[in-house]
Amino acid sequence: MKFKLPFNKKQPQPINEAPKESLVRVASASDHFIQSIQNATNNPADLIIKLVPPNLTLIYIDNLVDIETLNNDIIANLQNKPHETLEEIEIAMSIPEIQHSNLLKETVESMVNGSVLIHVEGYSQVLLANIATRESRALSAPENESQVIGTQVGFNESLSTNISLIRRYIVSPELCNEKFKIGTRTNTSISLLYMNGIANDQMVNTLRQRITDLYIDELLDSAVLAEMIDDNSLSVFPQMLLTERPDRFCDAILDGKVGILVDGSSMAIIAPQSFTEFFQSQEDQNLRWQIATFLRLLRLTAFFLSVYLTPFYVAAVTFHYEVIPQAFLVPLSESRALVPFPPIFEALLLEFIIELLREAGARLPTKIGQTIGIVGGIVIGTAAVQAGITSNILLIIIALSALASFTSPSYMMGNVIRLIRFPIIILAGFWGFYGIMLAFCFILIHLLRQTSLGAPYMSPFYPPRMKEMRDSIVRMPIPLTAKRPALTRPKDKNKFKPQPVKPKKS
Amino acid sequence: MTKPIQLSPKDMISAYLLFFIIHGAQVGVGIQGFQRIIYIDARQDAWISVLIAGIATHIVTFCMIKTLEIYGSNDLYGIQIDIFGKWIGNLFNLMYIVYCFVACFSVLRNYIEVIQAWLFPSIGTWFLSATLLIIIIYAFTGGLRVIVGVSFFSIILSLWILPMLAFPLKYSTAESLFPILENDFRSILKGAHSMTFTIIGFEILNIVYPFIKDKEKIRKPVHLGLLLSTLIYLAVMLVSITYYSGGKLVKTIWATLTLFSFISFPFVERFEFIAVCFWMIIILPNMCFYLWAAYRGATRLWNISGVKFVWLFSFFIFICSLVIQTRTQINTMNTIFGKVAFYVVFVYPILLWPIALLKKNFTSKKVKHNEQA
Amino acid sequence: MNKLKVTLVVLLSLFFLYGCVQTNILDKVGLTTLVGYDKGSEHKIETTAVIREVNPEFQSKVEVITTENDTSKGNRMEANRRLSKKIMVGQMRVVLLGEELAKEDIRYYLDTNLENADVSNSIYMAVVEGRTAPFLTYEYKDIDDIGQHIYKLIEQNVRQEFMINATLHQIAHDYYSIGKDLAMPIIKRDQEFVELSGVALFKGGKMVSKLPAKDSFYVKIVRDTFKVGLYETILDNDDIPSKILQKPTDKITIAFDAIHSNRELTLVDAKKPEFDLDINIRSRVLEVFPDINQGDRKSVAELEKAIEKKISKEIARVIAHSQEVESDIFGFGEKYRSIVRHSNLTREKWHKLYKDMKVNVNVKFVILRDGVFE
Repeated sequence: MKFKLPFNKKQPQPINEAPKESLVRVASASDHFIQSIQNATNNPADLIIKLVPPNLTLIYIDNLVDIETLNNDIIANLQNKPHETLEEIEIAMSIPEIQHSNLLKETVESMVNGSVLIHVEGYSQVLLANIATRESRALSAPENESQVIGTQVGFNESLSTNISLIRRYIVSPELCNEKFKIGTRTNTSISLLYMNGIANDQMVNTLRQRITDLYIDELLDSAVLAEMIDDNSLSVFPQMLLTERPDRFCDAILDGKVGILVDGSSMAIIAPQSFTEFFQSQEDQNLRWQIATFLRLLRLTAFFLSVYLTPFYVAAVTFHYEVIPQAFLVPLSESRALVPFPPIFEALLLEFIIELLREAGARLPTKIGQTIGIVGGIVIGTAAVQAGITSNILLIIIALSALASFTSPSYMMGNVIRLIRFPIIILAGFWGFYGIMLAFCFILIHLLRQTSLGAPYMSPFYPPRMKEMRDSIVRMPIPLTAKRPALTRPKDKNKFKPQPVKPKKS
Repeated sequence: MTKPIQLSPKDMISAYLLFFIIHGAQVGVGIQGFQRIIYIDARQDAWISVLIAGIATHIVTFCMIKTLEIYGSNDLYGIQIDIFGKWIGNLFNLMYIVYCFVACFSVLRNYIEVIQAWLFPSIGTWFLSATLLIIIIYAFTGGLRVIVGVSFFSIILSLWILPMLAFPLKYSTAESLFPILENDFRSILKGAHSMTFTIIGFEILNIVYPFIKDKEKIRKPVHLGLLLSTLIYLAVMLVSITYYSGGKLVKTIWATLTLFSFISFPFVERFEFIAVCFWMIIILPNMCFYLWAAYRGATRLWNISGVKFVWLFSFFIFICSLVIQTRTQINTMNTIFGKVAFYVVFVYPILLWPIALLKKNFTSKKVKHNEQA
Repeated sequence: MNKLKVTLVVLLSLFFLYGCVQTNILDKVGLTTLVGYDKGSEHKIETTAVIREVNPEFQSKVEVITTENDTSKGNRMEANRRLSKKIMVGQMRVVLLGEELAKEDIRYYLDTNLENADVSNSIYMAVVEGRTAPFLTYEYKDIDDIGQHIYKLIEQNVRQEFMINATLHQIAHDYYSIGKDLAMPIIKRDQEFVELSGVALFKGGKMVSKLPAKDSFYVKIVRDTFKVGLYETILDNDDIPSKILQKPTDKITIAFDAIHSNRELTLVDAKKPEFDLDINIRSRVLEVFPDINQGDRKSVAELEKAIEKKISKEIARVIAHSQEVESDIFGFGEKYRSIVRHSNLTREKWHKLYKDMKVNVNVKFVILRDGVFE
């Protein structure tokens, strides 16, 4: 019953480039060199070729390089001063990152990444001065994972900015950063970050292996990468966390997890991740433990409520009218009296409407977004009841479960909650409580079967680790949570030396 | 001696999980209605029968562990082949597989009967058995870890049912328990014998033993698991005897479920309807373990793959569930199975221990003899 | 291979759709809230059911249908033929039995409800004075839903401990136990009201006698422990110690609230048999008329004594009455069985013993406090 992955993770490294091509050398004559660059890049409009007399040629792509640096530090230094050798030029420029290359392919690749090519007439070697500037927005608050107490900064789309953010949180030489390029066409940079001395080597190796084994031609977002390197891509449950909060990322890394940053994506990947950790928010660490525990229990209750409340209603009203207490009986049956549909259809219809509202709200521009609230709340809600399509009580139940599904701190998990409700409603509509239990058992077994980077998904419940429950659905005071989660199999098991909760007064 | 089963450390499970394995494999359909069967024999002393049966499980398990320890890391199938030789041993193994099959089936069929009696009288047996089997197949294909996980969650998630026993206490009278030991010891023992169908399941230890990581630590979790089961059975029995009058208990088929009929909360009434469905998660480990135990035997006999075996096994169970339809058939099956199970679970391990000891002494002497020669 | 899997999945889902179950959608069924049984003509059962229906046109409607058939299920089928909705019994709350029928044998009516998994064990049972059909079909001026009303009435009185608790479970418990007989409240129509008028005593499955509603307090106090219950008693002239009176009167009415009571039953002599019945009542005196001096410790003690005497007398009377009709609703037999080893008690044997049983009633009454104004 092992599911095959839908795409090839392991494919032999393709022989897509003839060795001949990669060995083409840089021409020594200027016009030949210019011609060869134009050919290699298909002569784009933003390719700027600037001749600096007497013998220099500068080639770069507009908008990729920092114009100010180019003018002040390169052109100004080179102009009207005869330079004979490459070394002289290199010394003349006040640029830190300069490379030599005599291969055409390497030269072009470097240029596409934001280098200025400096060619000296008669030399079959070029200087690559990297003065790249990447368009990126300023740092802003994490909008999808907002929290009241805690840092108000989120990742943005620039890999280097993101890494610098993390380096600011973890000022330690132990922070390892491995770079990969994924995508034969996009050449997306990926950073694998972990703490040396904490993260488990085997997990880092597995993740490294999975990334290098990928053979795809494009990678535009980390969510895609997360799905491709998941343990079971076919499961609806995400096995890796996507977060845009650097503090959460750093906290995970310090717990011994492995993080991945993708250039051009504002979401970072964290693995391994257990099921319960999807219901934890970074804010929990910033709050007092009683409040944090309450919030975590609230979220877990919300999960169950959201998944099982509507099916329970459907099952009770369709089959098990016996379980309805007498106080509910009359209002329930009277509110249902006008509805022409069976409860299952009624519930599915309303769920569908709620999902429509959510989807429309997510797609519409923010300015019009408010209208959706009015349309959804007033028009559909009130009118549907008055028209006799749904019952009042179901409306409340559906709204409640929709609300509950949004309490999950992970948007991915919230989506899962909303999705798995539908099959359960259908099962409940056909076989009542039996159907619900069937779904419950199925989901339970499914969750038990999952792993995240080889670690059990249901940790710390199964395998049961009593000590770790202190920081799972509850959060005990910080002195009691000195151990790192065994989920990550950390090399260093303790975060700090466990101390008594109440230090003795001196 | 046959060589011990070679297992990679990834398949191994910690010893403390045996607590959940043993308890999860024991509690199942039997607890729904065991009271009246025992009450017929032992009257108000039925709780003593439960206690005796509980003690018997401890003794039998003690023998089982002793036998298994002789062989280090081998399961019952391997031990049987070693003791009785290839042919008779394999015959015994086959019989044990059939035993597991019947046990698995009887759990399934009894549960289906409960669903049909309480919830959906018109639903087809085939439908219920097919859906349950699919869940079990899904759990089985996940491997032993997943099955143990199911058993673990089944216990943790059903713990909340225990406090529900406090509700009927309001209507209980302690007088029903007196006079203690009025019935003769024979009938009490007979009652304990009737517990067989309810209390079995711990024989899974025989099969799961080689998969345990730290084998010297198994005693505590195993006996604790047995103790918990015994305590739960005892509690249910005591509540039932005091809650029902004798005549009514004898006439109530699923006394435990009827106990819940009284329970009502502000948001839900008729708690037994929920309990009946919730019982699915309680019987899951039962069936999974029997299925798994049968599979362990089958791989020795025929070298069959897990997926193939589970589909075949489920298919046969499905066919059987179509054959056995009426309540009387089910009751007959339960009685016969209970009788057989008594010998398989309670008598056989006690006999096996001395045989294994003798055999060991014999072979070790022989080895010594050979060495000397 | 893949195609095969897809077809398998499609077939499987079709297969499951076929396994659909009959639905009982809440607003598409008629919910029986109360059933009354009567003796019909020629060994038939006459059933009167109060059925609650919800229709789009009017919010909800209560129908009372009387049918006659051989079995109770037959009656259900017959009632079904007269209604637009399927009749279900899962929300039944009360079962009423006609007096005439109760005097014969109620076993069938117990078993038919116990057997049905839809019927809860916590429904109330009661005997109707006269026949149930006219009792239920009468158009009460202020009662919309007679089924709901009777349920609430009984529940309220049981909660307040005014009436003995007679749920299906308890009745079946008593019916199937050897040393205890069952008792049920009696209900009757009093012009435009429904009222609980007494307690019906059963011997085996037959109703043999009844006690007035006032005596249900004594029945309760002997049957089980009592928590909160208001009771009023009258002390006659010869019970009253003259000292406590401020002015002469021929009777004192006392209302008290039994905060807690417990009973202790001990078998003194197994042969005869003879029981000691010790009852402890701790209560709060609510009202005394005419007034007596409650501030005085002595007069309170005297009052306690007087009440003790009165209560023991009443209890002795109630027990004597039940002995006379051979209905052991107090469970003396259970006690006897639980103490006497190898008694091999049968119902007949016990009823014989019960007739000549001797009970020494011993009441201890403590006034804990009175109100906030002396």
